[in-house]
Amino acid sequence: MTVVRVDADRGLALCADEEGSRHTIETALVEPVSPGDRILVHAGTAIAALAPDESETVAS
Amino acid sequence: MKYVDEYRDADLGQALAGEILSLVEPGRHYKFMEVCGGHTHSIYKYGVDDLLPANVELVHGPGCPVCVIPMGRVDDGIALAHEEGVIFTCFGDMMRVPGSDGSLLEAKAAGADIRMVYSPLDALRIAKQNPDREVVFFAIGFETTAPSTALTLKRARADGVTNFSVMCSHVTIVPPLRALLESPDLRLDGFVGPGHVATVVGARPFEFIPADYGKPIVVAGFEPLDILHAITMILRQLNDGRCEVENQYARVVPYEGNQRALDVMAEVFELRPHFEWRGLGFISHSGLKLSEAYADLDAEKRFSVPGVRVADPKACQCGEVLKGVIKPWECKVFGTACTPERPIGTCMVSSEGACAAYYNYGRFAREREVV
Repeated sequence: MTVVRVDADRGLALCADEEGSRHTIETALVEPVSPGDRILVHAGTAIAALAPDESETVAS
Repeated sequence: MKYVDEYRDADLGQALAGEILSLVEPGRHYKFMEVCGGHTHSIYKYGVDDLLPANVELVHGPGCPVCVIPMGRVDDGIALAHEEGVIFTCFGDMMRVPGSDGSLLEAKAAGADIRMVYSPLDALRIAKQNPDREVVFFAIGFETTAPSTALTLKRARADGVTNFSVMCSHVTIVPPLRALLESPDLRLDGFVGPGHVATVVGARPFEFIPADYGKPIVVAGFEPLDILHAITMILRQLNDGRCEVENQYARVVPYEGNQRALDVMAEVFELRPHFEWRGLGFISHSGLKLSEAYADLDAEKRFSVPGVRVADPKACQCGEVLKGVIKPWECKVFGTACTPERPIGTCMVSSEGACAAYYNYGRFAREREVV
Protein backbone atom coordinates (compact mmCIF):
# COMPACT_ATOMS: atom_id res chain seq x y z
CA MET A 1 0.00 0.00 0.00
CA THR A 2 1.01 3.62 -0.41
CA VAL A 3 0.90 6.09 2.46
CA VAL A 4 -1.46 8.99 1.71
CA ARG A 5 -1.64 10.89 5.01
CA VAL A 6 0.12 10.39 8.34
CA ASP A 7 -1.30 10.82 11.84
CA ALA A 8 1.98 10.50 13.71
CA ASP A 9 0.44 11.23 17.14
CA ARG A 10 -1.83 8.20 16.92
CA GLY A 11 0.64 5.97 15.03
CA LEU A 12 -1.79 5.66 12.13
CA ALA A 13 -1.70 6.43 8.44
CA LEU A 14 -4.31 6.61 5.72
CA CYS A 15 -3.07 4.33 2.94
CA ALA A 16 -4.26 3.40 -0.54
CA ASP A 17 -4.10 -0.13 -1.95
CA GLU A 18 -3.41 -1.04 -5.58
CA GLU A 19 -7.08 -0.52 -6.50
CA GLY A 20 -7.17 2.89 -4.81
CA SER A 21 -9.28 1.82 -1.80
CA ARG A 22 -8.22 3.62 1.36
CA HIS A 23 -7.60 2.05 4.73
CA THR A 24 -6.42 3.22 8.14
CA ILE A 25 -3.17 1.41 8.88
CA GLU A 26 -1.12 1.00 12.08
CA THR A 27 2.39 2.22 11.38
CA ALA A 28 4.08 1.78 14.78
CA LEU A 29 6.28 -1.07 13.54
CA VAL A 30 7.74 0.79 10.56
CA GLU A 31 7.79 4.45 11.65
CA PRO A 32 8.68 7.01 10.53
CA VAL A 33 6.61 6.96 7.34
CA SER A 34 5.81 9.79 4.94
CA PRO A 35 3.21 10.26 2.21
CA GLY A 36 4.27 8.33 -0.88
CA ASP A 37 6.10 5.60 1.08
CA ARG A 38 5.24 2.01 0.19
CA ILE A 39 4.51 -0.40 3.03
CA LEU A 40 3.71 -4.10 3.30
CA VAL A 41 0.47 -4.52 5.29
CA HIS A 42 -0.99 -7.53 7.07
CA ALA A 43 -4.29 -7.32 8.97
CA GLY A 44 -4.24 -3.54 9.01
CA THR A 45 -0.69 -3.22 10.32
CA ALA A 46 2.39 -2.27 8.33
CA ILE A 47 5.06 -4.91 8.97
CA ALA A 48 7.69 -3.68 6.53
CA ALA A 49 8.57 -0.42 4.82
CA LEU A 50 9.89 -0.92 1.34
CA ALA A 51 12.85 0.83 -0.20
CA PRO A 52 11.53 3.27 -2.86
CA ASP A 53 13.40 1.65 -5.75
CA GLU A 54 12.26 -1.82 -4.75
CA SER A 55 8.79 -1.11 -3.48
CA GLU A 56 6.87 -1.97 -6.59
CA THR A 57 8.42 -5.42 -6.76
CA VAL A 58 6.07 -6.47 -4.00
CA ALA A 59 2.40 -7.15 -4.45
CA SER A 60 1.10 -5.98 -1.10
CA MET B 1 3.22 -2.05 -13.34
CA LYS B 2 6.91 -1.39 -12.96
CA TYR B 3 8.83 -4.28 -11.35
CA VAL B 4 5.69 -6.37 -10.86
CA ASP B 5 5.71 -7.04 -14.61
CA GLU B 6 9.38 -8.01 -14.46
CA TYR B 7 8.60 -10.51 -11.71
CA ARG B 8 5.89 -12.01 -13.92
CA ASP B 9 7.87 -11.84 -17.15
CA ALA B 10 7.16 -14.93 -19.27
CA ASP B 11 10.55 -14.95 -21.04
CA LEU B 12 12.43 -14.71 -17.76
CA GLY B 13 10.19 -17.46 -16.41
CA GLN B 14 11.10 -19.69 -19.34
CA ALA B 15 14.77 -18.91 -18.78
CA LEU B 16 14.52 -19.88 -15.11
CA ALA B 17 12.60 -23.02 -16.07
CA GLY B 18 15.46 -23.92 -18.43
CA GLU B 19 17.93 -23.32 -15.63
CA ILE B 20 15.95 -25.59 -13.31
CA LEU B 21 15.97 -28.29 -16.00
CA SER B 22 19.74 -28.00 -16.29
CA LEU B 23 20.18 -28.24 -12.52
CA VAL B 24 18.11 -31.37 -11.85
CA GLU B 25 19.69 -34.77 -11.88
CA PRO B 26 17.74 -37.09 -14.22
CA GLY B 27 16.43 -40.09 -12.35
CA ARG B 28 16.28 -38.27 -9.02
CA HIS B 29 12.93 -37.21 -7.61
CA TYR B 30 12.92 -33.86 -5.80
CA LYS B 31 10.28 -32.98 -3.28
CA PHE B 32 10.16 -29.37 -2.06
CA MET B 33 7.63 -27.95 0.36
CA GLU B 34 6.35 -24.42 0.00
CA VAL B 35 5.42 -23.63 3.59
CA CYS B 36 3.12 -20.69 2.95
CA GLY B 37 -0.38 -20.86 1.46
CA GLY B 38 0.34 -17.61 -0.38
CA HIS B 39 3.01 -19.46 -2.36
CA THR B 40 0.59 -22.31 -3.10
CA HIS B 41 -1.84 -19.85 -4.65
CA SER B 42 0.84 -18.12 -6.73
CA ILE B 43 2.07 -21.49 -7.99
CA TYR B 44 -1.35 -22.46 -9.35
CA LYS B 45 -2.50 -18.98 -10.33
CA TYR B 46 0.55 -18.49 -12.55
CA GLY B 47 1.08 -22.14 -13.55
CA VAL B 48 4.54 -22.29 -11.98
CA ASP B 49 4.30 -26.06 -11.57
CA ASP B 50 3.77 -26.45 -15.34
CA LEU B 51 7.22 -24.97 -15.87
CA LEU B 52 8.92 -27.53 -13.62
CA PRO B 53 10.43 -30.81 -14.79
CA ALA B 54 8.31 -33.83 -13.93
CA ASN B 55 10.78 -34.97 -11.29
CA VAL B 56 10.44 -31.73 -9.28
CA GLU B 57 7.40 -32.02 -7.04
CA LEU B 58 6.01 -29.21 -4.92
CA VAL B 59 4.13 -30.21 -1.79
CA HIS B 60 2.07 -27.77 0.19
CA GLY B 61 2.78 -26.92 3.79
CA PRO B 62 0.83 -25.87 6.87
CA GLY B 63 1.24 -22.10 6.44
CA CYS B 64 -2.43 -21.25 6.03
CA PRO B 65 -3.78 -19.53 9.16
CA VAL B 66 -7.42 -20.51 8.69
CA CYS B 67 -6.66 -24.09 7.62
CA VAL B 68 -4.90 -25.02 10.86
CA ILE B 69 -7.69 -23.89 13.21
CA PRO B 70 -9.31 -27.00 14.71
CA MET B 71 -13.05 -27.49 14.84
CA GLY B 72 -13.15 -27.12 18.61
CA ARG B 73 -11.86 -23.53 18.36
CA VAL B 74 -14.62 -22.69 15.86
CA ASP B 75 -17.17 -24.15 18.27
CA ASP B 76 -15.67 -22.03 21.07
CA GLY B 77 -16.01 -18.95 18.87
CA ILE B 78 -19.63 -19.72 18.08
CA ALA B 79 -20.37 -20.26 21.79
CA LEU B 80 -18.86 -16.86 22.57
CA ALA B 81 -20.83 -15.24 19.75
CA HIS B 82 -24.06 -16.51 21.32
CA GLU B 83 -23.25 -14.92 24.73
CA GLU B 84 -25.71 -12.21 25.75
CA GLY B 85 -24.58 -8.74 24.64
CA VAL B 86 -21.56 -9.92 22.65
CA ILE B 87 -20.50 -8.61 19.24
CA PHE B 88 -18.17 -11.26 17.83
CA THR B 89 -15.68 -10.11 15.19
CA CYS B 90 -13.42 -12.11 12.90
CA PHE B 91 -11.71 -12.10 9.51
CA GLY B 92 -13.90 -13.00 6.53
CA ASP B 93 -12.24 -16.37 5.91
CA MET B 94 -13.12 -17.61 9.38
CA MET B 95 -16.84 -17.03 8.82
CA ARG B 96 -17.25 -20.10 6.62
CA VAL B 97 -15.04 -22.56 8.51
CA PRO B 98 -17.25 -25.44 9.60
CA GLY B 99 -17.50 -26.19 13.30
CA SER B 100 -19.12 -29.35 14.56
CA ASP B 101 -22.54 -27.72 14.34
CA GLY B 102 -22.30 -25.14 11.59
CA SER B 103 -20.10 -22.13 10.87
CA LEU B 104 -19.94 -18.60 12.24
CA LEU B 105 -21.84 -17.51 9.13
CA GLU B 106 -24.65 -19.89 10.01
CA ALA B 107 -24.57 -18.68 13.63
CA LYS B 108 -24.92 -15.13 12.28
CA ALA B 109 -27.90 -16.21 10.20
CA ALA B 110 -29.38 -17.72 13.37
CA GLY B 111 -29.21 -14.34 15.09
CA ALA B 112 -25.78 -14.01 16.70
CA ASP B 113 -24.15 -10.58 16.19
CA ILE B 114 -21.08 -11.62 14.21
CA ARG B 115 -19.25 -9.05 12.14
CA MET B 116 -16.50 -9.45 9.60
CA VAL B 117 -13.53 -7.14 10.08
CA TYR B 118 -10.49 -6.32 7.99
CA SER B 119 -8.20 -5.81 10.98
CA PRO B 120 -8.25 -6.04 14.80
CA LEU B 121 -8.22 -2.25 14.79
CA ASP B 122 -11.67 -2.36 13.15
CA ALA B 123 -12.87 -4.60 16.00
CA LEU B 124 -11.55 -2.10 18.55
CA ARG B 125 -13.38 0.68 16.71
CA ILE B 126 -16.63 -1.32 16.98
CA ALA B 127 -15.99 -1.63 20.73
CA LYS B 128 -15.60 2.15 21.05
CA GLN B 129 -18.80 2.71 19.07
CA ASN B 130 -20.75 0.22 21.25
CA PRO B 131 -19.72 0.90 24.85
CA ASP B 132 -22.73 -1.03 26.21
CA ARG B 133 -21.74 -4.20 24.36
CA GLU B 134 -18.85 -6.66 24.78
CA VAL B 135 -16.76 -6.92 21.61
CA VAL B 136 -14.67 -10.05 21.09
CA PHE B 137 -12.07 -10.40 18.34
CA PHE B 138 -11.24 -13.92 17.12
CA ALA B 139 -7.49 -13.55 16.50
CA ILE B 140 -5.93 -16.04 14.13
CA GLY B 141 -2.76 -16.18 12.07
CA PHE B 142 0.96 -16.67 12.21
CA GLU B 143 3.60 -14.11 13.13
CA THR B 144 2.49 -11.96 10.17
CA THR B 145 -0.82 -11.17 11.87
CA ALA B 146 0.04 -11.49 15.56
CA PRO B 147 1.79 -8.07 15.77
CA SER B 148 -1.44 -6.44 14.57
CA THR B 149 -3.40 -8.05 17.41
CA ALA B 150 -0.67 -7.09 19.89
CA LEU B 151 -0.70 -3.44 18.82
CA THR B 152 -4.50 -3.34 19.04
CA LEU B 153 -4.43 -4.71 22.59
CA LYS B 154 -1.87 -2.07 23.56
CA ARG B 155 -4.08 0.56 21.97
CA ALA B 156 -7.15 -0.75 23.85
CA ARG B 157 -5.20 -0.51 27.09
CA ALA B 158 -3.90 2.99 26.31
CA ASP B 159 -7.38 4.22 25.32
CA GLY B 160 -8.98 2.67 28.42
CA VAL B 161 -11.34 0.47 26.40
CA THR B 162 -12.69 -2.20 28.73
CA ASN B 163 -15.45 -3.76 26.60
CA PHE B 164 -12.94 -5.30 24.16
CA SER B 165 -11.30 -8.71 24.45
CA VAL B 166 -9.44 -11.17 22.24
CA MET B 167 -9.91 -14.90 21.73
CA CYS B 168 -6.32 -15.62 20.86
CA SER B 169 -5.66 -18.44 18.39
CA HIS B 170 -2.39 -17.14 17.01
CA VAL B 171 0.21 -19.77 16.10
CA THR B 172 3.91 -19.81 15.38
CA ILE B 173 5.58 -21.28 12.31
CA VAL B 174 8.62 -23.10 13.65
CA PRO B 175 6.98 -25.83 15.81
CA PRO B 176 4.80 -27.28 13.00
CA LEU B 177 7.80 -27.32 10.65
CA ARG B 178 9.78 -29.22 13.25
CA ALA B 179 6.84 -31.61 13.71
CA LEU B 180 6.71 -32.18 9.94
CA LEU B 181 10.44 -32.82 9.78
CA GLU B 182 10.11 -35.35 12.60
CA SER B 183 7.25 -37.09 10.80
CA PRO B 184 8.13 -40.38 9.12
CA ASP B 185 5.35 -39.79 6.52
CA LEU B 186 7.25 -37.25 4.53
CA ARG B 187 10.62 -37.15 2.82
CA LEU B 188 11.50 -33.63 1.73
CA ASP B 189 14.54 -32.31 -0.12
CA GLY B 190 14.13 -28.65 0.74
CA PHE B 191 11.81 -25.79 1.62
CA VAL B 192 10.55 -22.63 -0.05
CA GLY B 193 10.40 -20.50 3.11
CA PRO B 194 7.49 -18.22 4.08
CA GLY B 195 8.35 -14.70 2.94
CA HIS B 196 5.83 -12.69 4.93
CA VAL B 197 6.28 -14.52 8.24
CA ALA B 198 10.00 -13.93 7.74
CA THR B 199 9.35 -10.20 7.38
CA VAL B 200 8.50 -10.32 11.09
CA VAL B 201 10.63 -13.15 12.51
CA GLY B 202 13.51 -12.87 10.01
CA ALA B 203 15.29 -15.74 8.31
CA ARG B 204 17.32 -16.72 11.37
CA PRO B 205 14.59 -18.88 13.08
CA PHE B 206 14.77 -21.26 10.10
CA GLU B 207 18.43 -22.09 10.69
CA PHE B 208 17.37 -25.24 12.56
CA ILE B 209 16.22 -26.77 9.25
CA PRO B 210 19.71 -27.05 7.74
CA ALA B 211 21.42 -27.40 11.15
CA ASP B 212 19.25 -30.13 12.67
CA TYR B 213 17.69 -31.81 9.63
CA GLY B 214 20.19 -31.20 6.81
CA LYS B 215 17.65 -29.59 4.45
CA PRO B 216 18.09 -26.34 2.50
CA ILE B 217 15.55 -23.54 2.85
CA VAL B 218 15.20 -20.44 0.70
CA VAL B 219 12.93 -17.66 1.99
CA ALA B 220 11.02 -16.50 -1.08
CA GLY B 221 8.76 -13.76 -2.40
CA PHE B 222 5.33 -14.35 -3.90
CA GLU B 223 5.65 -13.46 -7.56
CA PRO B 224 6.07 -16.39 -9.97
CA LEU B 225 9.70 -15.54 -10.74
CA ASP B 226 10.45 -15.34 -7.01
CA ILE B 227 9.27 -18.93 -6.63
CA LEU B 228 11.15 -20.21 -9.69
CA HIS B 229 14.27 -18.36 -8.52
CA ALA B 230 13.95 -19.92 -5.04
CA ILE B 231 13.76 -23.39 -6.62
CA THR B 232 16.96 -22.75 -8.58
CA MET B 233 18.63 -21.63 -5.35
CA ILE B 234 17.55 -24.83 -3.53
CA LEU B 235 18.79 -26.97 -6.44
CA ARG B 236 22.13 -25.15 -6.47
CA GLN B 237 22.55 -25.82 -2.76
CA LEU B 238 21.84 -29.51 -3.31
CA ASN B 239 24.22 -29.69 -6.29
CA ASP B 240 26.98 -27.85 -4.41
CA GLY B 241 26.51 -30.05 -1.35
CA ARG B 242 25.54 -26.96 0.66
CA CYS B 243 22.72 -26.77 3.14
CA GLU B 244 21.79 -23.38 4.53
CA VAL B 245 19.17 -20.64 4.92
CA GLU B 246 19.16 -18.31 1.94
CA ASN B 247 17.04 -15.21 1.49
CA GLN B 248 15.66 -14.78 -2.01
CA TYR B 249 13.24 -12.10 -0.72
CA ALA B 250 15.90 -9.74 0.64
CA ARG B 251 14.07 -6.78 -0.88
CA VAL B 252 11.50 -7.18 1.91
CA VAL B 253 12.88 -9.62 4.49
CA PRO B 254 15.69 -8.47 6.79
CA TYR B 255 17.63 -11.50 8.04
CA GLU B 256 16.88 -10.45 11.65
CA GLY B 257 13.19 -9.63 11.04
CA ASN B 258 11.28 -6.67 12.48
CA GLN B 259 12.53 -6.16 16.03
CA ARG B 260 9.73 -3.78 16.98
CA ALA B 261 7.16 -6.40 15.96
CA LEU B 262 8.99 -9.08 17.93
CA ASP B 263 9.16 -6.81 20.99
CA VAL B 264 5.42 -5.99 20.97
CA MET B 265 4.57 -9.69 20.54
CA ALA B 266 6.86 -10.59 23.47
CA GLU B 267 5.09 -8.00 25.64
CA VAL B 268 1.52 -9.01 24.83
CA PHE B 269 1.74 -12.77 24.22
CA GLU B 270 3.19 -15.83 25.83
CA LEU B 271 3.45 -19.37 24.52
CA ARG B 272 0.76 -21.88 25.40
CA PRO B 273 2.13 -25.20 26.66
CA HIS B 274 0.20 -26.95 23.84
CA PHE B 275 -2.04 -25.91 20.98
CA GLU B 276 -4.16 -28.15 18.81
CA TRP B 277 -3.66 -27.87 15.04
CA ARG B 278 -6.17 -29.20 12.58
CA GLY B 279 -4.84 -32.43 11.20
CA LEU B 280 -1.51 -32.13 13.01
CA GLY B 281 -2.79 -32.67 16.55
CA PHE B 282 -1.32 -31.03 19.65
CA ILE B 283 2.06 -29.37 19.14
CA SER B 284 4.01 -28.08 22.14
CA HIS B 285 4.69 -24.35 22.43
CA SER B 286 3.11 -23.65 19.07
CA GLY B 287 0.24 -21.34 20.05
CA LEU B 288 0.07 -17.92 21.67
CA LYS B 289 -2.13 -16.64 24.49
CA LEU B 290 -2.29 -13.26 26.15
CA SER B 291 0.39 -12.62 28.76
CA GLU B 292 -0.49 -12.04 32.43
CA ALA B 293 -0.21 -8.28 31.86
CA TYR B 294 -3.07 -8.48 29.33
CA ALA B 295 -5.08 -11.28 30.98
CA ASP B 296 -7.99 -8.89 31.63
CA LEU B 297 -8.44 -8.55 27.85
CA ASP B 298 -8.43 -12.32 27.30
CA ALA B 299 -11.89 -13.42 26.09
CA GLU B 300 -11.25 -16.97 27.29
CA LYS B 301 -10.91 -15.62 30.85
CA ARG B 302 -13.71 -13.09 30.58
CA PHE B 303 -16.27 -15.60 29.29
CA SER B 304 -16.93 -19.25 29.79
CA VAL B 305 -15.55 -21.09 26.74
CA PRO B 306 -16.45 -24.77 26.27
CA GLY B 307 -12.93 -25.73 25.15
CA VAL B 308 -14.11 -29.11 23.96
CA ARG B 309 -11.90 -31.04 21.58
CA VAL B 310 -13.77 -32.10 18.45
CA ALA B 311 -12.45 -34.71 16.04
CA ASP B 312 -12.20 -33.67 12.39
CA PRO B 313 -14.91 -35.11 10.12
CA LYS B 314 -13.93 -38.58 8.97
CA ALA B 315 -14.35 -37.76 5.28
CA CYS B 316 -12.02 -34.75 5.49
CA GLN B 317 -8.32 -35.23 4.80
CA CYS B 318 -7.15 -31.69 5.55
CA GLY B 319 -4.58 -33.13 7.95
CA GLU B 320 -2.84 -35.11 5.22
CA VAL B 321 -3.06 -32.11 2.88
CA LEU B 322 -1.54 -29.79 5.50
CA LYS B 323 1.29 -32.25 6.09
CA GLY B 324 1.91 -32.55 2.34
CA VAL B 325 1.24 -36.29 2.47
CA ILE B 326 -1.51 -36.16 -0.16
CA LYS B 327 -2.41 -33.72 -2.89
CA PRO B 328 -5.82 -32.03 -2.54
CA TRP B 329 -7.35 -33.98 -5.45
CA GLU B 330 -6.43 -37.23 -3.71
CA CYS B 331 -8.90 -36.44 -0.91
CA LYS B 332 -12.10 -38.47 -1.26
CA VAL B 333 -14.41 -35.45 -0.98
CA PHE B 334 -12.35 -32.91 -2.98
CA GLY B 335 -14.51 -31.10 -5.52
CA THR B 336 -17.54 -33.29 -4.86
CA ALA B 337 -18.91 -33.06 -1.32
CA CYS B 338 -16.30 -30.40 -0.44
CA THR B 339 -16.22 -27.23 -2.57
CA PRO B 340 -15.52 -23.56 -1.76
CA GLU B 341 -19.30 -22.96 -1.69
CA ARG B 342 -19.93 -25.82 0.75
CA PRO B 343 -16.61 -26.68 2.38
CA ILE B 344 -16.13 -29.64 4.68
CA GLY B 345 -12.52 -28.88 5.46
CA THR B 346 -10.65 -25.66 6.17
CA CYS B 347 -8.24 -26.08 3.24
CA MET B 348 -11.19 -25.55 0.89
CA VAL B 349 -12.40 -22.45 2.77
CA SER B 350 -9.41 -20.21 2.97
CA SER B 351 -8.04 -18.11 0.14
CA GLU B 352 -4.67 -19.55 1.19
CA GLY B 353 -5.81 -23.16 1.43
CA ALA B 354 -4.25 -25.72 -0.92
CA CYS B 355 -7.61 -27.31 -1.80
CA ALA B 356 -9.10 -23.92 -2.70
CA ALA B 357 -6.04 -23.19 -4.88
CA TYR B 358 -6.42 -26.48 -6.75
CA TYR B 359 -10.18 -26.05 -7.10
CA ASN B 360 -10.12 -22.40 -8.17
CA TYR B 361 -7.38 -22.92 -10.75
CA GLY B 362 -8.89 -26.06 -12.21
CA ARG B 363 -6.47 -28.69 -10.89
CA PHE B 364 -9.16 -31.26 -10.24
CA ALA B 365 -6.93 -34.24 -10.90
CA ARG B 366 -3.42 -34.47 -12.03
CA GLU B 367 -0.96 -37.29 -12.15
CA ARG B 368 2.45 -36.07 -13.16
CA GLU B 369 4.78 -38.40 -14.89
CA VAL B 370 7.62 -39.10 -12.50
CA VAL B 371 11.06 -39.50 -14.06
